Amino acid sequence: MSAPTTPEPTAPTTPSVLVHLPAELRARTGEQPSIMVASGDVRTIIAALDQAFPGLRFNLCAETGELRPFVNIFVDGRNVRFGSALDTSVAAGSVMHIIHSVAGG
Amino acid sequence: MASSDSTALRSGETVVLLGTKRGLFTVRSRDRVNWECAPTTLAGTRVYNAALDQRGGRRRIYAADNGDFFGTFLRYSDDFGQTWQEPERGIQFPEESGLKLENIWTIVPGRPSEPDVVYVGVDPASLWVSEDAGVTWSLNEGLAQHPTRKDWQPGAGGLCLHTIVPDYADPQRMWVGISAVGCVRTDDGGKTWQFKNKNTRAGFQPDIYPEYGQCLHRMIQHPTQTNTLYQQNHCGVYRSDDAGDNWTDIQRDLPSEFGFPIALDPGHPDTVFTIVEDEGRNNFGKQFTVYRTRDGGEQWESLTEGLPGGGNVRLGVLRHGMATDSHDPCGVYVGTNTGQLFASADGGESWHVAADFLPSIYSVNVAVIE
Repeated sequence: MSAPTTPEPTAPTTPSVLVHLPAELRARTGEQPSIMVASGDVRTIIAALDQAFPGLRFNLCAETGELRPFVNIFVDGRNVRFGSALDTSVAAGSVMHIIHSVAGG
Repeated sequence: MASSDSTALRSGETVVLLGTKRGLFTVRSRDRVNWECAPTTLAGTRVYNAALDQRGGRRRIYAADNGDFFGTFLRYSDDFGQTWQEPERGIQFPEESGLKLENIWTIVPGRPSEPDVVYVGVDPASLWVSEDAGVTWSLNEGLAQHPTRKDWQPGAGGLCLHTIVPDYADPQRMWVGISAVGCVRTDDGGKTWQFKNKNTRAGFQPDIYPEYGQCLHRMIQHPTQTNTLYQQNHCGVYRSDDAGDNWTDIQRDLPSEFGFPIALDPGHPDTVFTIVEDEGRNNFGKQFTVYRTRDGGEQWESLTEGLPGGGNVRLGVLRHGMATDSHDPCGVYVGTNTGQLFASADGGESWHVAADFLPSIYSVNVAVIE
């Protein structure tokens, strides 16, 4: 067994993904309509949003972890539900939209 | 409508909280004749229930905020619905349980002797308890781990724990109602739970008297006879005088076995009100009617003065859609699925419209300001 090593300090990641939030969730973000976060995958971005705005994850995901059925997340215009869902990579410079399903007809 | 405002609340004033398909409303009166209806800022979501809790020096409204898109939350307000807070540790199932919160169905402040305790029932059927006036919540594991749980089947509204009756006399005893499971009682403070459905029908099953599987709709406790309970069931109206060990059908001459709400006059607790409906879940016949017994279910009478009738009248009242106040004579309040609140200030003898043109009403809860 090799000797324990001190982990390299993680370099701070520059927020580089623009996340647009629906009006219904802006009470949680202090009325900010959009937030800049670090790149990653959708899951880590939701975790970062929840850390900044506690409770936001439960708005988006059920206790079991999956995205709520009427919540859609688009990364650069593509709905992650039809791709890798929460594992979808979100590169620096991407734009992420959180939108609920259409209602009313 | 003006927005809800607590600043002018006066002792003795009657406050009705209306949970609706689109938000929470308050309806207030100082004389139970003239009413003022106002929205709270909890708007746009399905509010299945709300409660005004005046214990412990608070005047706190709890509300079940069931969102269509972004989740379900228990919220509370100390300024009569102007601003709302979320619990620090809310009602969320452990991830490993595999359960997901669907809707919050009922909110019941605990006994007077436990002013910080609040109970909540949800779908999927489970009981949640707060011991700090709603700030943090815990799942009752005794019921959640009930050995028969895997066999419980939902009713049309889901597998919902919609009724909680903490025994006012025995802090270890409580009854809950679950659709479609029935009445379940604990005698040891929630550690273990037993079914209490003997003689209540499940007419929609091959075995109409199962141990559990009944569709209990609403259950209340007599305020001075601790072992007496009443329930409106999918299949009948029942009374128990032994804490639910046995039930007696008291439907008598009521025109239908099916109904949702049941309430009693706290000052004259042998006086019980119910509403029964037809198969279409509207008023039975052409006259919208509240039914009253004044002898604990021996005889029922029809109350119709001031209530609408006619060939086009189709009113439905859900399980939390009727409540009584603590005045004498007792006030009775009925909220409909078409957005009317009917009120009676004389124990049901006569009725008037206290509020109208509201979203579909899910719940009616009444408090008299202390």
